[in-house]
Amino acid sequence: MSKAYLNYAAKRLIQAAVVILLAYVFTFVVVSILPGDPITNVLNNPQNGFTPDEINEIITAQGLDKPIPVQLWTALSGFLTGDLGLSMRTNRPVATLIAEVLPSTLVLASAGLVVALLLAAVIAYGTQFLPKRFGQGLLRGFPSLFLSVPNFVIGLVLIHLFGFQLGIFRVIEPNSFWATLFAAVALGIPISAQIAEVLIANLDHESGQEYAAVARGRGLGQMRLFTKHLLKPSSLPVITVIALTIGELLGGSLITETVFGRTGLGSLVQRSVSSQDLPVLQAVVSLAAVVFVLVNLIADLAYPLLDPRVKLIGPSARRPATADEGFTDLSKAVTP
Amino acid sequence: MTDRPRFPSVSRRRLLIASSALATAALLATAGLSPALSADSPNNGGDITFLIDSLGDTWIPNNSAISSFQGHIWGHVTDKLLYVDAEGEVTPWIAERWEQNDNATEFTLHLKNGVTFSDGTPLDASAVVANLDIWYAGRKAEGINPIGLFPKTYDRAEAVDAATVKVFFKKPTLGFIPTLGYHGSILISPKTIAAPANQQADLSKTSGSGPYVVESWKEGDYVKLVKRKDYNWGPAAVGHTGPAFLDSITYKLVSEPSVRVSSVLSGQADVAYNASPQELESLKEEGFTVATPRYLGFVNGWAINTKLPPYDDVKVRQALQAGINRQEIIDTVYTPDWKLATSFIQSNVPGATDQSGLLAYNPDKAAKLLDEAGWVKGADGIRTKDGKPLLLTLHSNPYLATSKSVDELIAQQLGKIGWKVSIRAYDVVTFGQKVKYGSLAVPAYEVTRSFIDAGTVASILTNANNGENWFALDESDKALNELRDKIAGAGSAETRKPLLDELQKYVLEQGYFIPRTQIVQRIYAQSPKLKGEVYNGVAYASYYTATKSE
Repeated sequence: MSKAYLNYAAKRLIQAAVVILLAYVFTFVVVSILPGDPITNVLNNPQNGFTPDEINEIITAQGLDKPIPVQLWTALSGFLTGDLGLSMRTNRPVATLIAEVLPSTLVLASAGLVVALLLAAVIAYGTQFLPKRFGQGLLRGFPSLFLSVPNFVIGLVLIHLFGFQLGIFRVIEPNSFWATLFAAVALGIPISAQIAEVLIANLDHESGQEYAAVARGRGLGQMRLFTKHLLKPSSLPVITVIALTIGELLGGSLITETVFGRTGLGSLVQRSVSSQDLPVLQAVVSLAAVVFVLVNLIADLAYPLLDPRVKLIGPSARRPATADEGFTDLSKAVTP
Repeated sequence: MTDRPRFPSVSRRRLLIASSALATAALLATAGLSPALSADSPNNGGDITFLIDSLGDTWIPNNSAISSFQGHIWGHVTDKLLYVDAEGEVTPWIAERWEQNDNATEFTLHLKNGVTFSDGTPLDASAVVANLDIWYAGRKAEGINPIGLFPKTYDRAEAVDAATVKVFFKKPTLGFIPTLGYHGSILISPKTIAAPANQQADLSKTSGSGPYVVESWKEGDYVKLVKRKDYNWGPAAVGHTGPAFLDSITYKLVSEPSVRVSSVLSGQADVAYNASPQELESLKEEGFTVATPRYLGFVNGWAINTKLPPYDDVKVRQALQAGINRQEIIDTVYTPDWKLATSFIQSNVPGATDQSGLLAYNPDKAAKLLDEAGWVKGADGIRTKDGKPLLLTLHSNPYLATSKSVDELIAQQLGKIGWKVSIRAYDVVTFGQKVKYGSLAVPAYEVTRSFIDAGTVASILTNANNGENWFALDESDKALNELRDKIAGAGSAETRKPLLDELQKYVLEQGYFIPRTQIVQRIYAQSPKLKGEVYNGVAYASYYTATKSE
């Protein structure tokens, strides 16, 4: 197990490195073939009063007229030695820019995840034990509803209601506790939908199993049945879903940050995209690739530890079998 | 703000105005400002929050000073050699007085004594020379751009003694003095100027000599300014020279316009920048202060490409000039805070003359001109000539939020006369790439552009001295080029005045420039508790003189 494990981990790490490198190059090519860059855009603004000759002179002095492969090579060799370069838009080191905004995004994303998990758990619990006439059906509709309302709408409604009408938080101080909480709610609601959906499906499946019927027959309380017996087997696939939603947390934080006026990774990306600030975009895309790959790696590696039924099969196994395959088909690994 | 042009010639009327203005100023100063100066006055102190839609990009002083957003911060952190007020009047600031030779190629600036930058460096002649040099040349390879509007005829500057600077130009440059009051010409500590670009980009490392210093800032988030207690060299024109009254000013980025306005309405902030014109009336009704200062510059309008048929025909251009109902633009898209264009330059620019007669709405005249030019109205209402329809393609200016609404209204107006107008709206990047003066697909380039001295206008319009050749005339219009050369060579404002009048009349008569409205690019919605701010010649609000009541 341990050797297979290490082998597996090493392979996944190499794959991860390739993915990150490809993301870096891909971003470069896509942004480079689009016309414009932050420096030329500023020079072209008629308010600045530069003549075409001056513009050409500055562009040449900055090396912006070099062929794309040459520019890519310069950027890539810096990246491989850990130098993220200078932002073309702000003239400041990319690493500094990211370090400035990352903490705010991490706080928002983790708070958003906590909100999403709590909401999902409450909804899922409700669907199992709320009597039908008290709105179980309605509760089951919540995930679809959450998923279909864009989070900027939720954000604007929250700001208007709690910020302006009730005055619970000052809209222009987005890093205060309450403002962060409401931003986390706006971010967490759509994400909770997917988690709740998977959790409900699994709870439905598990509560139909014989062991659940036996537990009920023995007079176990609802809460106890839920927490002790049903939640653990139902939540394994949820881990995969959570890993996938990390991407959505990053993407969703872009919109949530804009709506709530928070300065984070999302708003940095937004400003960099609108001005085509290539070095920043490359760094952020690479960072997102790193996070994505790592989180999924952790989820996969955590599976065998959480569920003894899941093992790596044979020395040549590429990935662990997932929990929802059940006992009988342990012999073959299926791609989830 | 008056619409009356101001000339330095002394008339009785002018003397009367000047003396009554002085008396009023003295009265205001004694009545309004002296209580504020006493230490325990309730007016001294206070903190304000200014909500802004962007904080621009780089903070390298040369590259950012003329940004519509960062200019607000520079206006408080730095000083300028001269002050230019909303009427374009040039008065002393760091330069106490100045002289020029007869043909405006040599200038001598006499500096105020005892001025220091916030890093302790004295603001003396050598500091001014360092600033003039970097404004003119920048450090291009490093990414420090020149100031685009600084006279390109600059030769060199010399420090005669600690308080005297001599500046030399290769050609007569009457525009030099007003340029010193322009938003690009901010005085920065020589230590900052010597620093590499990526250090200049860190705002907290930049030192100016202004009434405020940067306490803290975060890219894309906020800039907090605190007052400098030893500041004592404000421009006399604003009626106050000592330290600022407000303790701090925080510029906070809020990108959503409705959130900016709501925050001011609910008392969470003091000023909202760039509210939409539609919101202004209701803000006023609720007792909020609304300011729509105009900058010194061109009005919002089109530079016509005379190379592109049918706009090579003067009659078609004149029909365009007469076919636009400018009053309807103000009534429909804007509010009465916007002013009718009276020339192709804003009416507050010194030297601007009233050419309203040439800009009157006269659809019958337009129709007649088109008939004469051979454009015949078809069954569908569109005029044609030799089987070709009368087309006008407009590219809405992405730097002006209301541009597309104005285009749509004009499309209706011109449609009645027989034009077929199509509107294209590009984002800033695409616009910069595709829409250029005189290019094949652009019959009309929409101008929003400030300048500080009307003397530079003539060269911009033509191709002389790296001019921008706005109407694609090259060397073909002798009358225009003659005016340009005479204006460029004028050694004094008096000799230049009638030439400028002639230029404005000629350009409008020929239909080279089609004005739409006078431009307001900066809109301020402000809490009634905050009072006493001053708007300068480029429409930036300065809170140096402002006070806040609780």
